[in-house]
Formats: sequence, structure tokens, C-alpha cells
Amino acid sequence: MKTLNRAQPFVTFAGLVSIALMLGACASTKPTCDSPQSRDLDKAIGAVQSSLSNGCHAHFDRYYDDLLTIAEGDPKPENKRAFSEFLVWSSDRGLLSKRQAQDHYNRYFNVKFMSLRGDYNNCSHTCPNRNKVLLDMERELTDKERGLLRVSLDNQGYYRADELFQEVELVLEATCTACAARRQE
Amino acid sequence: MRNEEPRPRAAVPYPSRLDAGFHWLLALAIAAGALLASQQAFSNTPTIRLFPTTVVEDLRQTGEVARDMETGLQEVIGKLDQQQQLYLESKCDGAENDSGCQRLARQVGATYLEMLTIMEERLPDMEHTVNNTRISLEKNLRSELGRKMTPWTLQETLIGNNVASSAPQSSPTLRGRSGMRLSERFRQYHQLVATSGSQGDQSLAVLASDIYLDMQETSLLIQRTRQEIARATLMEQLNQSFGIITPEMVEVVGGVKSILFGDEESRALVAGPPPGDIEQAYRSPLEQ
Repeated sequence: MKTLNRAQPFVTFAGLVSIALMLGACASTKPTCDSPQSRDLDKAIGAVQSSLSNGCHAHFDRYYDDLLTIAEGDPKPENKRAFSEFLVWSSDRGLLSKRQAQDHYNRYFNVKFMSLRGDYNNCSHTCPNRNKVLLDMERELTDKERGLLRVSLDNQGYYRADELFQEVELVLEATCTACAARRQE
Repeated sequence: MRNEEPRPRAAVPYPSRLDAGFHWLLALAIAAGALLASQQAFSNTPTIRLFPTTVVEDLRQTGEVARDMETGLQEVIGKLDQQQQLYLESKCDGAENDSGCQRLARQVGATYLEMLTIMEERLPDMEHTVNNTRISLEKNLRSELGRKMTPWTLQETLIGNNVASSAPQSSPTLRGRSGMRLSERFRQYHQLVATSGSQGDQSLAVLASDIYLDMQETSLLIQRTRQEIARATLMEQLNQSFGIITPEMVEVVGGVKSILFGDEESRALVAGPPPGDIEQAYRSPLEQ
């Protein structure tokens, strides 16, 4: 009986140690952050939301790209809504700022170019960086081709974006020539 | 059961009439408010002033000067074509020592000089009007699109208020040298600008840019041509004594014809939209 009483603290200690080890093991298990396996966009979004909620938020950009690839496999106009809702969810969960969510959506699914964001006038800001602005727009047009054309089947929207790119190119050429002429005077 | 008689019309109590009047006034106030709000909303949309009457007038004048120059040159160029044809048909190419061929070559050279003289006379007027148009447009582009707008507002101006509806009615413009007569080009510019009231700002910005860049190019071309004319005249006066047709002469005449009367081969092809008839009704709350 005495022996049992003497052994009891050791048993308790061993129990506590094993519980602590188990908890430690749980805490250090890293989430796998695998890409969504389903080819169905809604299911894939669900899987991504689950992963993002479980500590995979650093992989947001890869997940977004995965979702776009999955959506390309089943292109339809409704995909726009699915991506919008996913981005709003991400913003509400604090994974993205509101501005980041807007950028992610508009870059792929809107006719307007996010590359043309800017608070200063064209003569002072856009013209000195015209080549960079146009290069950024060209890259964005490639993303719009993916979002509007290959994911949402919005041919008209993509055609308008392409046309807008050409118009901006022409108007900026004329405007910047006019701005530069003033400097030469 | 109470049997109530209808009240006579004259017996409508004063407060009720006041109520009716109040409602009428309220309706009027709401309507006025709505009108003001809509005017406010309208005034919030950017309005750009790229084509004041002076620019429209400059374009008209440039078109007239171009037409005068074409009329003056058409006859001479026609004559020059005939003489060159005769020169070739007479197998004078390579037989420059033949006296008949030398006479033909001198005739071609004299007509060429005539063409250069007409151009020398008309080009200053042309240069003046083209420069006026270019400078006016330059000033307006710099002020309206360069200084008053950010890249974002410029984009919004180009795209118009309605993204979907702006697609089919856009592209009313001419893209630079379009293979048509110079006077016809200016006539079309003038027509587009003169009727610009019916177009949105988005078309005007593109149109103004297109015309301005074209004027810039035309202005440089005229400047270079004027510099070349003096040299070409001197050269031809010297050639007259030898009676030969230089390749330069043929090239210059070809260039003048292409500038003034257009070139069918250089007509730009306009790409059509890809097929697509899906109506996009969805608007995301994230859309800007």
C-alpha cells in the first residue's frame, strides 16, 4: 500500500508529461496547404477556404491561381460571381485588405485597368513613366484575357479591354507629346 | 347603422385644402430636388473641351487649302504620268543619248519643275493652317487630358459611363494616314469634330489625339518637303540641260501622289470583334 502511495506522484508526473508531449505534437503539426483536389469550382473554393482558415493564408496567391486554373476547365459567366464572393469572404476574414480584394477582382474580371491607378496628373506623373504604365497594362491585359475570356466567357468585355488599351496608348502618346512640347517652349 | 351624407364640395375644411396644397408643393419640391440631383450627377461627369470653335475652323481651313493644292497639282501630275508613260513606251529607258528621248526627258523635267513650283507656292499656306490646328489641339490636350486628369479619370473618360454599351459604338476615328486624299481626310476630320456634340467625351479624346498626332506628322512632312523642294528645283534645272529622268524624280512624284491622293495599298484594315453574345449582367461589389 505504501509502495503504491510512493509511486503515485511518478504516475501523475508521467501522465502530465505525456499529455504535454501530445499537446506539443498537435501544436507543432504544420498544415499541409495542398492545392484543391476537386475540379469543381465551388468545392475547390470550399477546400481553399478551409485551408486558408487553418493557417495557410500565406499561400493565398497560389490558391487564387489554382482556382483560376480550375475555373478555366469549366468556363461560364457565373464564375465571376464565385470569385467575387470568395474575395469578399477573404476580405471579411481579414486575409486581404479591401483594396487587395478589389485589385484581385478587377485585374481579372473588370474592363478597367488597375495599372492606371494614380492620384497625380498625367503630365507630371504618367508621362514620365509612360513605358512602364503601358507595360503594366499589357501584363494586366493578359490577366484579363484569363479572367474575362477563359474563365467567364465574357468575350465582349475582353474585346473592350483590349480596345481600351489601344485607346489609352494613342491618347497617352498625344497627351505626352503635348506635355513635352510645353516643356520645350 | 349610421347613414352619413356625403359632404358637399364647398365644405372641405381649410386644413384639408392646406394638406392638398402641401402635398402638391411637396411633390414639386421632390421633383425639383430630383432634377437638381440629376443635374448635379450630370455635372459630376467630367466634361472635356478639346474642340473649341477655333479648332473646328482651323480644320475646315486646312481642308480647303489641301483641296486647292490638290486641284492645282492634279493636272500637272496627270500630265507627268502621261509623259512618263510615253517615255517608257518609246523605250527611252537606257537610250538617253537619243535626241528624241532627250527631248521627251526635258519635257518631263519641265513638268516636274512645274509641280515643284506649285508645291512651293501652296505649301506655306498648308503649313500655316496645319500648324494652327496642331498648336490649338496641343494646348487643349495638355490642359484637358494632361493637367486636369489623372490616369484613372482619363480611363473613365475613355470608357464612358456604361462599359457594356460603349463597345459597339466606339471607334469613330481615322487612324493617321488612311490612304485617302488629304482634303478628304481633313473634310472627314472636320465633319467628325463639327458633329462631336452627339458623341461622348470618350470618342472626342481619341479623336483629338488621333488628329493631333496626324497634324504633327503632316507638319514635319511639309517642313521636310519645303526644304527638299529648293534642292530638287536646283537639281532639275541642271538636269534640264542634260535631258535625263532621274530615279529621284520618279520617287518624289510617287511620294507626292501618295500623300495628296492617297494610296490604296496603305489602307488600314480594321479588326472586328471576336464573336461573343453573352450578356454580362453580374456586377461584383468589388468592381470599380
